[in-house]
Amino acid sequence: MSDLALHIPTDVIDGPTSLAAVLVAALVVGLCVVRARRHLDERLVPLAGLATAFIFAAQMLNFPIAAGVSGHLLGGALAAALLGPWLGALCVTVVIVIQALLFADGAVTALGLNVANMALIATFTAYAVLTLALKVLPRTRGGLAAAVFAAAVVSVVAASAGFVLQFWIGGEEVGQSFGAMAAAILGTHVLVGLGEAAITAGAVTAVALARPDLVHALRGTRLAQAPRDLKETA
Amino acid sequence: MKTGKFLIAGTVVTLVLAGFVSLFASASPDGLESVLLTGCDTDDGEITGGACVLQAAGDHEIGGAFADYGISFLDGAFQGSEVLGASLAGVLGVLLTLAVATGLFRLLARGKRADSAEEGA
Repeated sequence: MSDLALHIPTDVIDGPTSLAAVLVAALVVGLCVVRARRHLDERLVPLAGLATAFIFAAQMLNFPIAAGVSGHLLGGALAAALLGPWLGALCVTVVIVIQALLFADGAVTALGLNVANMALIATFTAYAVLTLALKVLPRTRGGLAAAVFAAAVVSVVAASAGFVLQFWIGGEEVGQSFGAMAAAILGTHVLVGLGEAAITAGAVTAVALARPDLVHALRGTRLAQAPRDLKETA
Repeated sequence: MKTGKFLIAGTVVTLVLAGFVSLFASASPDGLESVLLTGCDTDDGEITGGACVLQAAGDHEIGGAFADYGISFLDGAFQGSEVLGASLAGVLGVLLTLAVATGLFRLLARGKRADSAEEGA
């Protein structure tokens, strides 16, 4: 059985690049802590904990995307849609650190690289696309699902582009040219992104129907066909 | 739906995903891995020849208690122990993630309350 996930293993990216990624990731995660704190209401804590555990579980579920190739959820789009970019990025960071320290999933030395790609690039890209899409699309179930879908696809491709950049700086091409590898990585991750998008759109729509107030992207508004009663049920 | 009910339902779904659905997940290399394996011949996940990026990849530095989503001391202990190990590793992983994340976010939220109390004083 495969012992690697979408996570960068040991010794694929050189030491200086990995170390630089640790510094950059630590800085941005620190910023996330500061910003997340401003909006972190104690009521949100259990939801953020659950979202983190859900992302951990979903990352175990590799789905087939082509013959002999699989993909799994990264979770950045889900976290961004439910909790916003700052808290969302922290959720994915917690998952990646636990995977590296206890599950041998992603190298410890590649933590900075993996956090940068999957927790930071994916979550912030998803949030940007989601915010833009929700400006154009109607606040209906379909509109929200479409916005989340688009955000998820773009976020996964962006995360894989993060890896391509890291490999360009600190990787060594073997067996294929850098260009061929970059094209293959980006192309494969369009397919992974479609899977991520289907799962994320389903999950966010389910939460929006049950508890629209728990979907950060809706900013306190309800879906259009729901009764227009803004009273909190919490 | 009440918050408590919502959280319980979400936790149950998450545990089922990690403890049961995960047993049916695809074992094929994922998008990143399959591209990094280009140029190598593989047999059942092991590199048998050729030249590819992943040949350079070393073993995981520390392994960890649940390395590769299994529980090592259960492996081969009895028939079906690997399946049980995989399922348990998923369930324990979810519970641990839930506890660590909830704990960290609670600390963060508390810190904020203490700060705003200071500002108000």
